[in-house]
Amino acid sequence: MSEKQLVLVVDDDPDLVEAVSMKLESEKFRVNKAYDGVEAMEKIKEERPALVILDVMMPRKNGWVVCDEIKKSDQYKGIIVILLTAVADAVQTTSYTHHDGKTTLADDYIPKPIDLDKLMEIVRDHLGS
Amino acid sequence: MSNQEQSKVSPTEEKDRTSGAKPGLSEISFKPTVLVIDDEKRIRDACQRLLIEEGFDADCAENGEIGLKKIEAAHFDIILLDLMMPGISGFDVLASVKSLHPDTLIIVITGYATIEHSIEAMKKGAFDFLPKPFSPKDLRLVVSKAIEYIRTLQDIATEKSRMRVMINSLGDGVLITDNQKKVALANPAFLKMICCTESDVIGRPISEIIAEAVLLAMIDQALQQASDTFVELTEEFSIPGERKEDELIIGVRCIPFRDRLGRNLGTVTVLHDITTLKKIDQLKSDFVSMVAHEIKSPLNSILMQLKVVMDGLAGDLTEKQKEILFRTSDKIKALTMLSSDLLDLSKIESGLINQEKEEFNIAELVRRQVDFYAEQAKAKSLELTMRETDPSIRIVGNKTNIEEVVSNLITNAIRYTPEGGKIKASVEKDKNYARIQVSDTGFGIPEEDLSRIFDRFYRVKNEKTRFINGTGLGLAIVKSIVEAHQGTITVSSKTDQGSTFSVSLPITSS
Repeated sequence: MSEKQLVLVVDDDPDLVEAVSMKLESEKFRVNKAYDGVEAMEKIKEERPALVILDVMMPRKNGWVVCDEIKKSDQYKGIIVILLTAVADAVQTTSYTHHDGKTTLADDYIPKPIDLDKLMEIVRDHLGS
Repeated sequence: MSNQEQSKVSPTEEKDRTSGAKPGLSEISFKPTVLVIDDEKRIRDACQRLLIEEGFDADCAENGEIGLKKIEAAHFDIILLDLMMPGISGFDVLASVKSLHPDTLIIVITGYATIEHSIEAMKKGAFDFLPKPFSPKDLRLVVSKAIEYIRTLQDIATEKSRMRVMINSLGDGVLITDNQKKVALANPAFLKMICCTESDVIGRPISEIIAEAVLLAMIDQALQQASDTFVELTEEFSIPGERKEDELIIGVRCIPFRDRLGRNLGTVTVLHDITTLKKIDQLKSDFVSMVAHEIKSPLNSILMQLKVVMDGLAGDLTEKQKEILFRTSDKIKALTMLSSDLLDLSKIESGLINQEKEEFNIAELVRRQVDFYAEQAKAKSLELTMRETDPSIRIVGNKTNIEEVVSNLITNAIRYTPEGGKIKASVEKDKNYARIQVSDTGFGIPEEDLSRIFDRFYRVKNEKTRFINGTGLGLAIVKSIVEAHQGTITVSSKTDQGSTFSVSLPITSS
């Protein structure tokens, strides 16, 4: 595959976004950045990424809601979502049941503190590169 | 002879000394009153004189009629009663006294040294008998026996009243039941805590008084305990208030008490208001967890940035720079670990009382932990083995917490044992306990540090352990968990030979 695949990195910590992005770019991915859930949806609309690395706890719109919007939309549902979960021991799963009883399913998750090499493995696995 | 006398005297002396100020007090306040009823003036006078000499308050009556009048007018501790008198007989006086003052002790004086009269009098409730003729020594002996009896009864009554006042004035609620689950004692604090407005509860079944299911179940459980187990049951329940802030949280302890043959006689239940404790504890936990989270996230992002630089993504690095960054990264990892441990500790401490417990096989759990760490041990050329003598021991506890205990002990052993060493884990039955041991051939713990290794943030620091990262919280967490499971943890160690940690947890009685 010659064309570089686009990954969207979403987290409210700019330093984390920067570090993850640098690592991704070094692995020959193109990167877009967003710092909250609302911005993430805007970036997805601008240019469709192949994969989103998505923090759960964020201002304005949290990761579960963003994930839900991606997976429910006919247009975006093929986008792969990897969750960053801070409370790793509390969220050992990629599914989340909302207060209305609906369940969101992400494709994968990685607990914080993030092991960058592990994250790259997961990204490569899902993008088949 | 003098030896014999001494041996006779010494027990009473002993008694006085051991019971401290108590007999002194009763001696001051207690001057026994004695009434002598006898138609023979000689005997009356002799008895009275002797009794007064002995320090008693002695009165006389020359026949049954006068005697009964005196008995109606005043209470006597002891009555010396002649059986054969003109007018009302001694037996009639005996019957009247028994109905008027059941606690008065009657010593019958019998003129005929016939055993029949004495036996009949004893059957009708006399305390003792004194056959005529009798010496002053005989009289002293029989009266002092009676006094001793009265004193014992008084002591019991004093003790009872003292205990009642003490229990009633306690701020903690106390309930004592018999083995038929009837109330034997319930202090005002108890009745208030369970919101019982009735005052006359003694002798009634607890199910009529107590609505709280937790309490009823505990008393049931305490009474069902076999005589070879002795477990104090602890629980808590809440009493809803009018507003949420008014809710009370009550800690309960329930213990069975037994006779000498180990039969359950009843239960003692103590209620303690732990509302404030719980609130303070919650505040502390919230604070610790807030601080830990706030520290953890920036540390994580620092680690990632370091990683990016170390991977050369921000430009090439010299070997020296890499080395420094590697060490920096290690230190930050240790800090991250510390914040995780702090979170764990605050979580464990806030959830100590109300955590989910289940029954499980402890040998299996230890075996899984040993398997899990096998690779890590092998990487350090350590031999990690497991020995179990009884693979069927089951305990009740929080599985995640017990896993934490075992994993902590094993990782400690791995960290503090130099390459080529041995680590042994074992599970065995020790009476009513499951004993889990983890021993190593490591650095050992210097004697002066042994007593403090379970303290928070305490770490043994010397040239060997300097490069081992740790938070100093691991063993504190282990101890908290073990104690929350009514267990104990001990350690024995010798410098440069190794350490053995033993955890004892109560097994499920089957």
